[in-house]
Amino acid sequence: MPTTLHNEAAIAGIGQTAYSKNSGVSELQLATEAVRAAIDDAGIHPSEVDGLVTYTMDSSDEVEVARTVGIGDMTYWSQVNYGGGAAVGLITHAAMAVATGQAKNVVVYRALNGRSGQRMGQGVSGNIISSDLIHWSWYMPFGLLTPASWIALQANLYMEKYGATSEHLAHVAITQRMHAQNNPNAAMYGKPMTMDDYMNSRMVCEPLRLFDCCQEDDGGVALLITTPERAKDMKQKPAVMRAVTQASFEGQEQMTSFYRDDLAALPEMELAAKIVYEMSGLGPKDIDASCLYDAFTPEILMQLEAFGFCGKGEAKDFVTADSLTIGGALPNNTHGGLLSEAYMHGVNNIAEGVRLIRGESCNQPENVEHVLVTSGVGVPTGAVIFGQA
Amino acid sequence: MSDEKKQALEAEIRSYVGKPIGPEVIGRDPVNEPMIRQWCDAMGESHPAYLDVDGAKGTVHGEIVAPPTMLQAWVMEGWDMHEGYDEPKNEQHRLHKLLADNGYTGVLGTNTEENYTRYLKLGETVKALTVIDEISEEKATGAGIGYFITTKTAFENQDGEELGSMSFRVLRFKPANPQPTASAAGGEEAVAQKPSRIKPPMGHDNGWWWERVADDGVIPIQRCTSCEKLRHPPRPMCDGCGHQGFDSIDASGKATLTTYTVVHYPQFPGYEYPIISIIVDLEEGERMASSLIDCEREDVKIGMALEAVIHEDDDGFKIPLFKPAS
Amino acid sequence: MTTLKANELETGQALPDLDFKTTTTVVAGGAIASRDYTPVHHDKAAAISQGLPDMFMNILTTQGICSRYVTDWAGPDAIVTRVKTKLGGPNMPGDTLKIRGKVLSTDGDAAEIEVTGNNAWGNHVTATFSLRLPA
Ligand SMILES: [Zn+2]
Repeated sequence: MPTTLHNEAAIAGIGQTAYSKNSGVSELQLATEAVRAAIDDAGIHPSEVDGLVTYTMDSSDEVEVARTVGIGDMTYWSQVNYGGGAAVGLITHAAMAVATGQAKNVVVYRALNGRSGQRMGQGVSGNIISSDLIHWSWYMPFGLLTPASWIALQANLYMEKYGATSEHLAHVAITQRMHAQNNPNAAMYGKPMTMDDYMNSRMVCEPLRLFDCCQEDDGGVALLITTPERAKDMKQKPAVMRAVTQASFEGQEQMTSFYRDDLAALPEMELAAKIVYEMSGLGPKDIDASCLYDAFTPEILMQLEAFGFCGKGEAKDFVTADSLTIGGALPNNTHGGLLSEAYMHGVNNIAEGVRLIRGESCNQPENVEHVLVTSGVGVPTGAVIFGQA
Repeated sequence: MSDEKKQALEAEIRSYVGKPIGPEVIGRDPVNEPMIRQWCDAMGESHPAYLDVDGAKGTVHGEIVAPPTMLQAWVMEGWDMHEGYDEPKNEQHRLHKLLADNGYTGVLGTNTEENYTRYLKLGETVKALTVIDEISEEKATGAGIGYFITTKTAFENQDGEELGSMSFRVLRFKPANPQPTASAAGGEEAVAQKPSRIKPPMGHDNGWWWERVADDGVIPIQRCTSCEKLRHPPRPMCDGCGHQGFDSIDASGKATLTTYTVVHYPQFPGYEYPIISIIVDLEEGERMASSLIDCEREDVKIGMALEAVIHEDDDGFKIPLFKPAS
Repeated sequence: MTTLKANELETGQALPDLDFKTTTTVVAGGAIASRDYTPVHHDKAAAISQGLPDMFMNILTTQGICSRYVTDWAGPDAIVTRVKTKLGGPNMPGDTLKIRGKVLSTDGDAAEIEVTGNNAWGNHVTATFSLRLPA
């Protein structure tokens, strides 16, 4: 029995739907289309899948997905909480299941009509799904109702403390938009952005402008997780998990961890970094590309510091040196990310991590050995490092 | 709706595009001083060129002109409008009835654009021709799925001289939720309530806190009755010693600004924007979220001294807010 | 009364605030002055039957009030050449319509002014006025 998840699981299939602003179909249809595509990508039959994992926020139940796709007997299913923080959690759960033999082939999925249905950016004012209503009630009466407003509180302090400015955030937004210009699946394909476009976009919650915020889209993504051994017999080159973990830090809240001493840092991401580096035996210098969670641009700056790609407060200089571009020190979100490809709650960023290992990104850098992918910022989260088989 | 039915409806509504809604409308009265004065009274307008000959002479107009935004008023149908249009009277009504009969019962004006070629002079008669200019693809909106219908109106005077134009866009939609929305008309429904800020649910773990704010006019801070550790927001167990018993102390209200954001969008009913949303460090050491009032945007500084005020909303809800320390 | 010149304006410059008290008389008077006899603008019972608590201001009245707000500030020789409006929630008796404005841009003798009107329901109107000002 393995005692860590180092090299115990791999992603052998990825699937996705088209991303749109109005899918015109049910979330179950999006989910099953993505799940089926991931199974086909791996080159196995649906009946060989025996586990499913999704978000607590997802509306498509595991058994509904199983019946629709033709998945037969199942021995494992689970759901992970905390919105985008769940992304890496899905594959952590799946990896544990395949590593212990509880399941052989687990598909994880997330599908949402995030634009035409329930919109994430509208925050918590509508039908509140979360059981944590009282938690939100410490913020709602004061007008702190949206993810942008919660993140802006931390971002403002971070920027003031380290002298980061709108220009620094713009570099993140513009670089990812540039990446999306080579990605026909991206919502922002064919819509490049200049510094003027960025600066003229309207202020949402200071210091966040509209283009600091990810989009809202309809679509679905799924990933097939199995053991590296079984993956060898499947169709695609697998992305092996060198390390994978969930991470929640002392004082953690969902989007509102305002009660810790230093609000200009992401201790849950620092914890995730410590674990994945230890488990993999790798360090920041070994990471060739990344898909850092990017619901809002300041999150990229803070994660670069949490994962040791630069020192505290130095991310502003790191991003201005074109480090995040294809030829840069850390090509990041080469598909456009949540900012410019689609807001698939972070699972599309994991799919891009797999493509980078396969050498199939629309913006493929040379010699990619290891890729870091993270999930939601400001929430209980997680991180994964992929490597070659 | 089946695909065939939907296609048939789409085809039928598209046949309206480009159609005039009816014959040209001719203003009942020429541009005249009594109607201008009545308009100015209602709008609180005191523009000299609208109201008296001498005043007008002192302006670029040199003579009395009508307020520009009054353009459409000259051709409004007037009295007959009060009876409504159960029976369609023109092509626009027929298009709307067709959509309403197919479930698109909501209607919402969304945008207008008016271009004024010049200001109107006394004695001119206004004529208007309105055309159904555009019907959008079916769109998903906050109100529900529906079609944006744009009409364009060209205004000219009795001599055919161009006076201006107007485009008017309405959304015809299938209401997404059965509650009446603030600006959606139609149906015998419950009366909408004036919105107010979202209230906290009063649960076992937090209700006492809001009651103390309302009843005693203080910001309470929860305190463990065993080890006396303070905690905010309230929770049912002390994270220091595991004891469940608690009481509370009254915060002095003195605080410093830890961080803030100025919230512009999206805007929710019941709040006044922009909102300066804040996190403060209370003097007692605990931290809380609130909003800052009585402070200009440019005067907000991280670290500034604040003092609490218990604010009462129009609906009687009491909430602790902060203002700059005096 | 003098009129502002376009080159005296700065982008972002704010117009003075106007807190407009909405009464039944204002709503009904504005509707009748604009010859808009749609019942919901002068008959409370008609508005209630449509799910609203009271009669509400018609679009022409909103535009008329915003227009005078802009020209009261700019001066009598400012010519309004275009008004674009985005319509929001209702404005009803008892509502204070908080009208705010700012200069969006200037170009030669032209200026664009943004006007917002908010009340307890949220945003009632956002309008962009195009003005031609004395050279
Ligand atoms: Zn205790």
